[in-house]
Amino acid sequence: MRVVIRKLACAIALVVTASTVIAATPHAQSPGALAPVKIQDLYYGDVLFYFYQEDYFSALTRLSAAQLKNRLPHHADDADLLLGGLYLSVGQHREAGQIFSEVLNRKNVPAAVRDRARFFLGKVWYQRGYFEKAAATLAETGKAGLTPEMDAERHMLLAQTFMFLGKYPEAIQSLENWKGPPTWQAYAQFNLGVALVRSGRLDEGTRLLNQVGLLQRSSRELDALQDKANLAHGYALLQANRPTEARAVLERVRLQGPLSTKALLGVGWAESALGDYKEALAPWLELHGRNLLDSAVQESYLAVPYAYAKLGANRQAADAYESAIKEFAAETTRLNESITAIRGGGLIDTIVKNESKSQLGWYWQLSALPDAPESRYLFHLLAHNEFQEGLKNYRMMRYMERNLDGWAASVDAFGDMLATRRERYSGKLPEVLARLRGVDVEELQRRRTEFESRIATAEATGDRATLGTPREREIWAQVEQMESVLASAGNDADLDDAREKVRLIKGVTYWQMDDGFKARAWAARKNLREVAQALRETEKRWSLVQEAKTAVPDRNGEFGERIATLGPRIEATRDRLTTLEGAQARYLADIAIGELESQKERIGTYMLQARYSLATIYDRAADEQQKGAVPVAPATPPDQQK
Amino acid sequence: MAIKSFRSLVVRFVGCGAFLAASAVWAEPPSVAAPTAPPAATAPASPAPSADFKSLDGEVQGLKKEVLDLNRDLFVLEEELLFPANTQVAVFLSLDVGTFFGVDAVQIKLDNKEVANYLYTDREVEALNRGGVHRVYIGNLRTGKHELVAFFTGSGPHERDYKRGANLTFEKGVGAKYVELKISDRASAHQPEFKIKEWE
Repeated sequence: MRVVIRKLACAIALVVTASTVIAATPHAQSPGALAPVKIQDLYYGDVLFYFYQEDYFSALTRLSAAQLKNRLPHHADDADLLLGGLYLSVGQHREAGQIFSEVLNRKNVPAAVRDRARFFLGKVWYQRGYFEKAAATLAETGKAGLTPEMDAERHMLLAQTFMFLGKYPEAIQSLENWKGPPTWQAYAQFNLGVALVRSGRLDEGTRLLNQVGLLQRSSRELDALQDKANLAHGYALLQANRPTEARAVLERVRLQGPLSTKALLGVGWAESALGDYKEALAPWLELHGRNLLDSAVQESYLAVPYAYAKLGANRQAADAYESAIKEFAAETTRLNESITAIRGGGLIDTIVKNESKSQLGWYWQLSALPDAPESRYLFHLLAHNEFQEGLKNYRMMRYMERNLDGWAASVDAFGDMLATRRERYSGKLPEVLARLRGVDVEELQRRRTEFESRIATAEATGDRATLGTPREREIWAQVEQMESVLASAGNDADLDDAREKVRLIKGVTYWQMDDGFKARAWAARKNLREVAQALRETEKRWSLVQEAKTAVPDRNGEFGERIATLGPRIEATRDRLTTLEGAQARYLADIAIGELESQKERIGTYMLQARYSLATIYDRAADEQQKGAVPVAPATPPDQQK
Repeated sequence: MAIKSFRSLVVRFVGCGAFLAASAVWAEPPSVAAPTAPPAATAPASPAPSADFKSLDGEVQGLKKEVLDLNRDLFVLEEELLFPANTQVAVFLSLDVGTFFGVDAVQIKLDNKEVANYLYTDREVEALNRGGVHRVYIGNLRTGKHELVAFFTGSGPHERDYKRGANLTFEKGVGAKYVELKISDRASAHQPEFKIKEWE
């Protein structure tokens, strides 16, 4: 399940990027790598940055914030599917299901998006155990938006869903004649084989299981699948009373693999069914050195004396039963100790303690066992789906609590920051307003317009003096004044020399002013534009300040309200987290204790069987002794010996 | 009698405990994310969860959703409070292809003042290669003209140490300003290319 969810999250990445793939990728990509995404909204890329690092919590926070602020207009559909996938990644199946359903309910959803949404929704139902809904959704899913691998997975999930529902004919129908990618094909063949056997079509089923069992070994994954196929095949043959064939098939299971104990037990039963009890002892005795938590190992403790008894070796049988009783008793004691320890609390904290600093993820695996008596049972418990899911819930809540602890400190700081900001604002505002009161923007604007008009007139009339330098304008004014004086003097010849000098000065000055006129006119226009720009900026700032006079207090007030609301929200949520963490821990402890109790019960049954069988041997020995035969066992049962 | 009794146990094992009868034996399909890679260890699909589990899980899911919403609200509040939209400026870094350059670090200067100096982990570089975009810097700027200078450090063509800079003069208006530092390949020259793009 964990693996499936992880793969689902990765698959969603593939899905959401599929619609925005860049066509040309000049360098070769590794098989299965995601195609690059053409990012059209930077914040979508920001989400993917965290998503690709498997930091799903951060990705989810950023995605939902970006959606809230309408920052993903170009990736709306993909963002929804990604959000659904991220919810799955943090164990929020309900939200994920809702999102995929909403996508399906929209009008004009492209077929590709619809197919992907159906596919993931089907997976959600499957993972949550709603098999009827899963079957309906997966059957309805089209191929348009699915990669060949996703389509293969859909096909397989559908078949498995039918099998969970006991609808073997439907499962067979969906798997028969199906061609998919090679690795998937092997899984399909295995599942089809199982479905056929379970629907009573033994020969057809075992033929397929045999094919899977004889696949060329190429990976650890296929090795495991082969072991499963051989074990399933072997036990099907044992059930059909075909021990010779069963033995050959079971012997194919790897001796060091996780299914080896069941295979060894089965080989023993096959030998036993053939009447070869001596041969049966070899695999059963091999099991004796293995972990007694394994039910196959536990059964071997009864199988060995059973074989001895069948061989007539009653003394060895009695010894083996005694040994079994001792082992079972010791295991029962250990189980009792573990149950007591778990009842005392602390089991769950011990498990997650070492992992508290690691990256949060719904795919977390226990990397180190705590040093406690109950540790040896934990691996067994972790195989329990509810325990695993509950542990993830517990761990996620712990993470969230730490996350909220951080926010609680930040919110306090936000409050202080806002207070400082308010204080600064109220202190600064009068000063700014006083300064602004001394600035008459309208008067400035009027002067700018007047200046612009003067330049325009000068250009139109050829009035060079308007744009002359101050010195030139001064000289020009003096020349004009002198000309006026000379004009009033009439035609006095004595003034001809002066007139000539004035004319010369006027000509030189005009020439100087005319020479730089165009450049000056251009510079004046440029300055005017800059003044206009500066005045516009001033007007904008003026209006911003006017607006800020009301907006800043309003915004600060709004921030204040949000901070005031969020603080208590954090506190209340932390309290609820603490409460639910406790409930979750108790639930997990109950599962653990229930599991250990059922192991204890099973061992108790075996112990009873062993005692009963031992007593029978003693009875028989006593009968034979009475008849004068040599005793085969001690007179006192072992559990009554001091 | 004992043997007969044990035989019944055997029958029970073979009959009821038979491997085929165990739903957990069904093989889980391989991953769709890595189609040609060997699928990871199979995990059996679970049967329907118990009512107790569903009840507690429903309660936990509800609370987790509240925490996620709360976290989002706090995240938004933090950004709005610290980096108001009218002064906000954010600088992002993206990789397009990246054959000729492997980024190790990026340094950002705004108006000749160093505002960010980020060292990338392998995991982050992988995320960038897959299409992720990293927000390297978020801060506040007044309206008006500003200069951004970015220095990229990493390994260039032929695994040589490589350092390049790029700059941009931009106008900061009243709204938020986004700038993207883009590292791409200039295939014709077999060299990386560093561009700075303004986003509206």
